[in-house]
Amino acid sequence: MAVFDTPEEAFGALRPVCVQLTKTQTVETVERLRAQLQAVSDSALQELQQYVLFPLRFALKTPGPKRERLIQSVVECLTFVLSSTCVRERELLQELFSELSACLYSPSAQQPAAVSEELKLAVIQGLSTLMHSAYGDTVLAFYEPSILPRLGFAVSLLLDLAEQEKSKQIKVAALKCLQVLLFQCDCQDHPRPLDEREQKQLGDLFASFLPGVSMALTRVITGDFKQGHSIVVSSLKIFYETVSFVMADTQLERTSDAQPKPASVEPRVAELMVHREAKWVKNTSDKLTVLIEKITECVCIHPHWKVRLALTELIEALLLKCSQSLVGSAGPLLKALVGLVNDESPEVQTQCSKVLRHFADRKVVVGNRAFADILSENLHSLATSLPRLMNSQDDQGRFSTLSLLLGYLKLLGPEVNFVLRSAAHLQRLSKALIQVLELDVADIKVVEERRRPSGGLSSPPESAALLQRRYFRFFTDERLFLLLQQLCQLLGFYGDLYLLVDHFMELYHESVVYRKQAAMILNELVVGAAGLEVENLHENHIKTSPEELKEIVTTILEEYTSQENWYLVTCIESEEGGEELTMKQSGLQAITSAAHTCQVTSFQAFSKPGPTICSMNSNIWQICIQLEGIGRFAYALGKDFRLLLMSALYPVLEKAGDQTLLISQAATGAMLDICHACGYDSPQHLISQNSDYLVNGISLNLRHLSLHPHTPKVLEVMLWNSDASLLPLVADVVQDVLATLDQFYDKRATSFVGVLHALLAALAQWFPDTGDLGQPQEQSAGEEGSHLSQKPAAPENTATAEDIEQFLLNYLKEKDVADGNVSDFDNEEEEQSEPPKVDECDTGPDVEPPPPVHIQIAKDVMERCIHLLSDKNLTIRLKVLDVLDLCVVVLQSHKNQLLPLAHRAWPSLVRRLTSDDPLVVLRAFKVLRTLGGKCGDFLRSRFCKDILPQLAGSLVTQAPVSARAGPVYTHTLAFKLQLAVLQGLGPLCERLDLGEGDLNKVADACLIYLSAKQPVKLQEAARRVFLHLMKVDPDCIWFLLNELYCPEQLTPPHPSLHPVQLRGTTGQGNPYAANVLHLLQELQ
Amino acid sequence: MAASPLPPPDPQFVLRGTQSAVHALHFFGGAQGQGCPLLLSGSLSGLVHIWSLQTRRAVATLDGHGGQCVTWLQTLPQGHQLLSQGRDLKLHLWDLAEGRNAVVDSVALESMGFCRSSVLAGTQERWMLAMPGRGSDEVQILEMPSKTSVCTLKPEADAKPGMPMCLELWQADSNPRPLLLAGYEDGSVALWDVSERKVCSRVACHTEPVMGFDFDSQKARGVSGSAEKALAVWSLDEQQALQVCRTHELTNPGIADVKIRPDRKILATAGWDHRVRVFHWRTMKPLAVLRFHSATVHCVAFAADGLLAAGSGDQRISIWSLYPTHSDMSAPLLGPAEGREVGAHAVA
Repeated sequence: MAVFDTPEEAFGALRPVCVQLTKTQTVETVERLRAQLQAVSDSALQELQQYVLFPLRFALKTPGPKRERLIQSVVECLTFVLSSTCVRERELLQELFSELSACLYSPSAQQPAAVSEELKLAVIQGLSTLMHSAYGDTVLAFYEPSILPRLGFAVSLLLDLAEQEKSKQIKVAALKCLQVLLFQCDCQDHPRPLDEREQKQLGDLFASFLPGVSMALTRVITGDFKQGHSIVVSSLKIFYETVSFVMADTQLERTSDAQPKPASVEPRVAELMVHREAKWVKNTSDKLTVLIEKITECVCIHPHWKVRLALTELIEALLLKCSQSLVGSAGPLLKALVGLVNDESPEVQTQCSKVLRHFADRKVVVGNRAFADILSENLHSLATSLPRLMNSQDDQGRFSTLSLLLGYLKLLGPEVNFVLRSAAHLQRLSKALIQVLELDVADIKVVEERRRPSGGLSSPPESAALLQRRYFRFFTDERLFLLLQQLCQLLGFYGDLYLLVDHFMELYHESVVYRKQAAMILNELVVGAAGLEVENLHENHIKTSPEELKEIVTTILEEYTSQENWYLVTCIESEEGGEELTMKQSGLQAITSAAHTCQVTSFQAFSKPGPTICSMNSNIWQICIQLEGIGRFAYALGKDFRLLLMSALYPVLEKAGDQTLLISQAATGAMLDICHACGYDSPQHLISQNSDYLVNGISLNLRHLSLHPHTPKVLEVMLWNSDASLLPLVADVVQDVLATLDQFYDKRATSFVGVLHALLAALAQWFPDTGDLGQPQEQSAGEEGSHLSQKPAAPENTATAEDIEQFLLNYLKEKDVADGNVSDFDNEEEEQSEPPKVDECDTGPDVEPPPPVHIQIAKDVMERCIHLLSDKNLTIRLKVLDVLDLCVVVLQSHKNQLLPLAHRAWPSLVRRLTSDDPLVVLRAFKVLRTLGGKCGDFLRSRFCKDILPQLAGSLVTQAPVSARAGPVYTHTLAFKLQLAVLQGLGPLCERLDLGEGDLNKVADACLIYLSAKQPVKLQEAARRVFLHLMKVDPDCIWFLLNELYCPEQLTPPHPSLHPVQLRGTTGQGNPYAANVLHLLQELQ
Repeated sequence: MAASPLPPPDPQFVLRGTQSAVHALHFFGGAQGQGCPLLLSGSLSGLVHIWSLQTRRAVATLDGHGGQCVTWLQTLPQGHQLLSQGRDLKLHLWDLAEGRNAVVDSVALESMGFCRSSVLAGTQERWMLAMPGRGSDEVQILEMPSKTSVCTLKPEADAKPGMPMCLELWQADSNPRPLLLAGYEDGSVALWDVSERKVCSRVACHTEPVMGFDFDSQKARGVSGSAEKALAVWSLDEQQALQVCRTHELTNPGIADVKIRPDRKILATAGWDHRVRVFHWRTMKPLAVLRFHSATVHCVAFAADGLLAAGSGDQRISIWSLYPTHSDMSAPLLGPAEGREVGAHAVA
């Protein structure tokens, strides 16, 4: 199709169609015109605008009934023309405007005509295009008072459409058009911003529509959620644009009260005109407040996030532009904004924070007394109703209430102090927080769960996280807790920290019911005050200075770790706990001292009016919270916390050794926090770097052990976690411990034995004996074993006389050795393990300088052990034997220290072996074994002289008893003793490398137990004894066993030897058959 | 009285790590606003440790006496200068300013005795040093920092007081002439007029050597301890005559050091019986017996703010805060609360 560039050509082409259209107004003609117009260039069409428009307008204006289809196509054609051209004259614009809007109006019904949706859409499009096609100046000229009736008509028409119409498309188009009409179009076609005078002129004009527009839009906005979010969004947009334009503070402040006489306005129009004087503003504002309240309430909970986003824009626009005129609406607006801060949609959240930040930057709240007052007012009333709301709402409701509170705090910033300084409101606020943070303390598991009794304290933190879950009485949603945390932090950040800390400290003191919550709040206040997790919206806000913060933290720490808040009853059954109780309330002595087993006492506890499970649970949580607090303080202070370690580390470590799992975990957590904050790699590092502070606390507390019964435990934990460099520091403390132990042998031995154990274990680890004797000996034992297993291979049928001779010679030599006739040219294998040991300990004594500190300590400890070996308490005796064992290990290379002590310890050790509880007997055997490894010669003779006869004797006398006894026997003490002795003897004999005579004694005593009549366990133990004995002297044992039961006929290895007949019977009835066979198999 | 349930007083904290017996203590800084207060300690192994009282840790160690015991430490009022006397017969002047720790000057001692030196330093550049002299009974006075010998104070031939055991240079407010108080081996205390080189007065306070004394120049009263079981309080009248006011019997013999607190309210003694005893200075009423150490206490020192430090043969330094000095001095020294504590521990 040709393009007509010049007006002349275009005119030629269009003229016939236009003429025809004027004559016959049919859809076809309009379509033809439209087709022709497509070919006309924009500039040419501009020239011919009036000419082309004429037939179209004529078609619209023709009186009489018209077909809708025709009107629609005419409007569409008109729209096309307008979209390609500009309207330059005001009159044309006004006329077109009236003509177009009239299309939708049926004069008879006084309402939008019931026309087709397509027509409605076409007209709306047309209007919109018309307004866009008008030149800037023309448009302005258009908005003169005289247009008011017509404009008003169009506006109400569009509002009607937006509100009533079913089609979403029309609704959207109507709203869009309304935007254009109200000068809010956001397209690029309106580049020139209005100047003040023009704004005011338009404002005056639009003021007339404000009631209608705002009410209709409110109806749309608060309508069904299902109508689609885009409609609500644009309605909101038009609402706030219009309101903020008409009610703009900048416009209103220049309005004089006297109405200027409008020039040349018809009286009818003048009636419609609004003058925005103070009274009108007040009235309108009141009415708008109602609408705004409705809108915010409804939209806040709108399911679509874009709508809520639009609401934030609304709030921003209104609060920024109409802060004075709409002061009454500020309350609901701020409330809505604040409520959206924690919206579930991140977009809304971001926008909200942006708005808040914007407000803060522009000092909208702080700079505006009125707003600040409103916010404080809101906060006041919220604080007042908070306790009730927390009580009555569900989690969701609480969440939004608390979000609101949070938002207020964010907005108010430092201004929050106005509220806090009112005692009544602070009271309310704190009560609400305390109430909602109340913990559920009914869980018995918290009290029951025990720390695994391991030495090290680094229990894996991941499991801690699982267990540290708190149960609150009033809510279950974890988000609520996070919110509350944030809330407290914000309070700490903006609020007067001294005031708040004072207040919550008071609550902390006031009642045990508040204590945990108050501590939780205090913890967060401090973190908040450090400004670490808080987003600062108020740049001029001055944070609490580090010095002040340190001071405050020091005070809180002192309170937390004070005697009455740190040492709470968390368990009943422990030995220490028992002692504590007796210390404090001597009346309970009978109960606590009577029972040492956990089970019994804990049952008694239920019936006893002592600490209940609940109160203990509560105490546990309180300690945990306080521990967590210490971690939080460290986090808040960072490296500055290092100085506070002097006072804080000791209590934390004390709790790290607590037997309640939860507490020890919390303490470990706190230590990790401290490590992070103060730059230590690990708790071990933390402890070793600050052991001087710990030692200080330990040594001072040891002086008042009754007040600080946990002191030994701290020392224990410290020892487990340090290295040798600690020793110079603890040396004097160890002396103190020993001195204190000497004073309290009877009362506190348990805890001290624990320390001694830790100490000796640490020493053994820090000062490993370089010339270790244990290792090679084990090896030589192994060699011996292999050597022994090869030996029986010798007497085979192929053996020659020489072989036999050699064998006998070897045998004699070995027998010699076994009898103790060690000569210089002795057998290589045995020589390697024994003589160097002798050398080593012999070189020492003559030139011995004063022994090193650790040796001195081990010596001192061993001396105490000698006394404690005969303690009445079984557990202590067991522990002491362990310590003794370690003492021997540490002292092994200092024989001249060890031997005299071993000599002194001997008598009571003998008693442990011969007449004590089976458990003790076993443990004592272990000590003897170690001792045997370190000073074998010394021990061997002693053992054979003092112990062996008794043990063997008792085994022999007991054997018939156990052989005859029934199944119940295995539960008797006698059985356990037998078992213990049998279990202990084997390894010891092996270690001591007993001579033949003694070995026989042992074997004789044990042989009886190989009988099938004995209880199975004893048989097993006896078998094991023999396995050990075989390693010492296989031949002898072989012989012994065969004497008992001889499974096969022995054939001499060489025909020149006599056949041997052993005493052992081969009969089926031999009770030893099974065990002996088993053992002989091992020997092969 | 003794049945009071109050626990015995504890040290505020204990400094560990000298790794040998502590023989000299001196507080430094803090009150004058020179950063955090420090405590200097001299040990048997010849090291001087500088402790920060804030972190309670050693911040530096000075090694200048060749492994010989450090017996005396003193800082000079201006500049960060420290004097240390050691059994290696050296008296070092250290510069401690800005973290330095270097010997800037030394004086050789000529006597192997136990006597600690003394300085008299005002605001001027020059200061005076009294130290044991070459002869066993002599005291030498030097002008510092030029090290010029001012005089040697030698007792009259017939006096035979033995070696000087402790010295204190001082100056009366009214009289600019420097005076020297010296405690001697025979248990006497003598007042020397340094410029005239003569003994103004001499009084026998003890039957055993004077181990340490302190003098309160405002009240013109001094207190001395010796190897015997008594403290002696003596005074100086206008005629500069010394006289013994009273003696105070102790339970155990041997006082290694005596110090009066700067506010002149209490005094502390370092006992060979491992204990530190605290007395009311005016009335000499025993206030407390501080039991902590497990070996002879060799020295005590007071800080300007009232903190007490005691150094002992058990290698520990204990720091005590007793009857804390309040900022307003008008408050009665021993309020009712403090009185209680006294009641509990007055029994030596």
